Amino acid sequence: MTKLTRRFFLSTTAAVTLAATTLSLPGAVLAQETPKSGGTLVATWGGFEPQAVFVPGGGGSSPLISSTKILEPLIRMDGSAEFIPVLATEVTPSEDYTTYDITIRESVTWHDGTAFTVDDVIFSANEYWLPIVAKAALANFEGIEKVDDTTVRMTFSQPTPEFFIKNTLSTSLVLPKHIYEGSEIATNPINNTPVGTGPFKFKEWVRGSHIEYEKNADYWDEGKPYVDGLVLRYWRDAASRAAAMEAGELMLGVFNPIPAPDIDRLSETEDFVATTEGYLGAAWASTIEFNSRRDVVKDPAVRQAIMTALDRQLIADVVYFGRAKPGTSFVSSVNPMFYDDDLPTYEYDPDKAAEMLDAAGYPLEDGKRFTVNVLAAGWFEENGKVGQFVKQNLEDIGIEVNLTVPDRASSLKQIYGDYDYDIALSNHASQVEQVPKQTDYFATSGIVQGAAFRNANGYSNPVVDEIVAKMAVETDADVRVELAHEFQEILATDLPITILVEMESTTVHSAMVKGLGDRADISADSWSNAWLDK
Amino acid sequence: MRSLILKRLVQIIPLILGVIVMNFALIQLAPGSLLDIMTSEQQVTDPATLERMRELYGLDKPPVVQLLRYIYSVFTLDLGYSYRQNAPVLDIILAQLPSTLLLMLVSIGIAVTFGMIAGVIASVKVNTFWDVVISLAAVFFFAAPTFWLGIMLIIVFSVWLGWLPVGGMATIGVDYGFFGNIVDVIEHLILPSLSLGLFYTAIYTRVMRASMLEVFSLDFVRTARAKGLSTTRVILAHVYRNALLPVVTLLGLQLGTVLGGSVVIEAVFSWPGIGSLMLDSVMSRNYPVVLGVFVLSAVVVAIANLLVDIAYYRLDPRIRKR
Repeated sequence: MTKLTRRFFLSTTAAVTLAATTLSLPGAVLAQETPKSGGTLVATWGGFEPQAVFVPGGGGSSPLISSTKILEPLIRMDGSAEFIPVLATEVTPSEDYTTYDITIRESVTWHDGTAFTVDDVIFSANEYWLPIVAKAALANFEGIEKVDDTTVRMTFSQPTPEFFIKNTLSTSLVLPKHIYEGSEIATNPINNTPVGTGPFKFKEWVRGSHIEYEKNADYWDEGKPYVDGLVLRYWRDAASRAAAMEAGELMLGVFNPIPAPDIDRLSETEDFVATTEGYLGAAWASTIEFNSRRDVVKDPAVRQAIMTALDRQLIADVVYFGRAKPGTSFVSSVNPMFYDDDLPTYEYDPDKAAEMLDAAGYPLEDGKRFTVNVLAAGWFEENGKVGQFVKQNLEDIGIEVNLTVPDRASSLKQIYGDYDYDIALSNHASQVEQVPKQTDYFATSGIVQGAAFRNANGYSNPVVDEIVAKMAVETDADVRVELAHEFQEILATDLPITILVEMESTTVHSAMVKGLGDRADISADSWSNAWLDK
Repeated sequence: MRSLILKRLVQIIPLILGVIVMNFALIQLAPGSLLDIMTSEQQVTDPATLERMRELYGLDKPPVVQLLRYIYSVFTLDLGYSYRQNAPVLDIILAQLPSTLLLMLVSIGIAVTFGMIAGVIASVKVNTFWDVVISLAAVFFFAAPTFWLGIMLIIVFSVWLGWLPVGGMATIGVDYGFFGNIVDVIEHLILPSLSLGLFYTAIYTRVMRASMLEVFSLDFVRTARAKGLSTTRVILAHVYRNALLPVVTLLGLQLGTVLGGSVVIEAVFSWPGIGSLMLDSVMSRNYPVVLGVFVLSAVVVAIANLLVDIAYYRLDPRIRKR
């Protein structure tokens, strides 16, 4: 039987579509099926149990999955990086891009029956987005005012790029003013039983087991959701998750729910589908970060030599079972807007790497050039294995490596609190928009001791800072792309932090689960389009 | 008996104090803190917010003050509040502790019951085919990692045969009625309790066999046989009862380790117990929950040991006479 890998799946799909078009067959019929209503979708994910159903400050991928079925943003990004309306029907910039008029959807109600109004949007912007979830993104935000019963106007002190602001709105959920007003949003116990406008209502959370949702019969998108209920099952062990999928106890798993060998094994059958669609908004990668405060690794020539010494294809093939590929830029190669495909690739060549180190002033003496402390962050199991490969590769060219694999809390403290590492092996979820979450890893303003997942390496380059500042206010989309390319070219040479391998995040689902939709981030989607073909 | 119970109950107080102080010290010594986790998860970069969170979590006070405050709150039956989960610690733990206790009790029940039966048979049929089979099985289950055994049981009984559910504690979203729900829980309990229990069954089998063989060789057994008692009566009335004491001792000692073993089994079978909660809380340095879990676990293990002491008291007349 032919192995149903992603490549095979995509090529087969493409071939079928092409044949249908060429032979004037009813291609639309092949691609579209009429959704059926009913049933309960049972899903899981490759992560921890959420600490709360909704964590206002983010809280990682687990609460993102659990909250976004209940709470909704104003707009959402699709798989082509286009924005589609959710609670807002229109987001229109002024000519000078200093104000944005947002028209909200009418006849929407919260799950408790209260009407959704512009006051909820104003409250969310002032009390939630600005102070908690999008502070950096809304740095130029001056205020929000009601224009009429269905329109609000956001005002900025500087011109604000349309894609930038729409991206911010797409990742900022709207909260019910009547529930949160007067309370501390971050610590409100209602976060464990949220009330939203989404397709699913919170029903029950059995800690350690599952969160159960029921269909929102009054959902604004008529006829949706198609399923009557949704169960998010927390399943810690990946191997038994695979068994649960085979036994029919789980129908859908997002974000690498089962071990890589099981993905191939299950998708060889007709009962399961594996897809890498839906990770544009969170394209995960394994990163290597050089501490600019440390003597040897602050030298870009040394960093380039180290990158040349690493057999990243082998890491992709062995550690990630082929579900990864060497990266060239901190911007993911799946990014349809900003990725620059003309950057140094640092092909594996240990002899060349040794020569580069000789030229940089680090010749081999007594079989050794220098020693580095490599920290493999403990939040992903694979990082420790990547660390072993890095250690072996570097020792091959005379760099002694002290490798440590601390747990999550220790890694956070060492990397972002104490800056106590020479080289950190970590991870990054790349977004489409670059400012500020991506650029904070490189901008001088991104250096905030104790704050995680930003500039920990101490890299400071006035040219990069200037590009980042321009990207934040440049409203011409083409010029922004040029700036992003310029930004990547500098960083691909300076290498304060870069991608070792781009990880291929995978969703596995039963063949009867349909309509998962064309979304930038499948985890953050509401799954209102999902239906069961049974 | 009453004085024994009272003495043991009073001993729980220094035990709990010790558990709190030791675990508090361990958490303090471990690099990273709840604040590191929370600020990273919530992407907090503002120094003022960082300071406010530090105050909110009580981390702005010296460790000694934090410890004394915690001890005071525990002895006023308040295990504190988990800001990570936005809920009182006691509520979080009590939601999951019963599942773990159920799994522990059934696993221990399986281990003691089957372990003693197998041990008795192996000792009575010593150096026969049955002894070899039982001893080999004991070695196998003792050597097999519980997570591997769990996965194997899942593959055979859930994936291949489809007889039993893979995981969870009950079928979600279905109400089978009172008795139906009990049957449903039992169905979900079989594989995890076997996975955990078979390891301990092996231990009890070996201990019971050795203990029985030792008692068999004692003078009073020879006397009993010389008196003309039947073999069954000699085994049940004289040997078995005397051979039980090491098993009961072992039972008391192993309750804590069974709780530890349940962490792995809960992960494999998605069993909603405190194992995952404990692991997640340690990883996130969520010290109110970590300490709360350890305090309640210590209380449970101490009470279980008290019950073991009572059983010992009933079984061994020498203790009653002291």
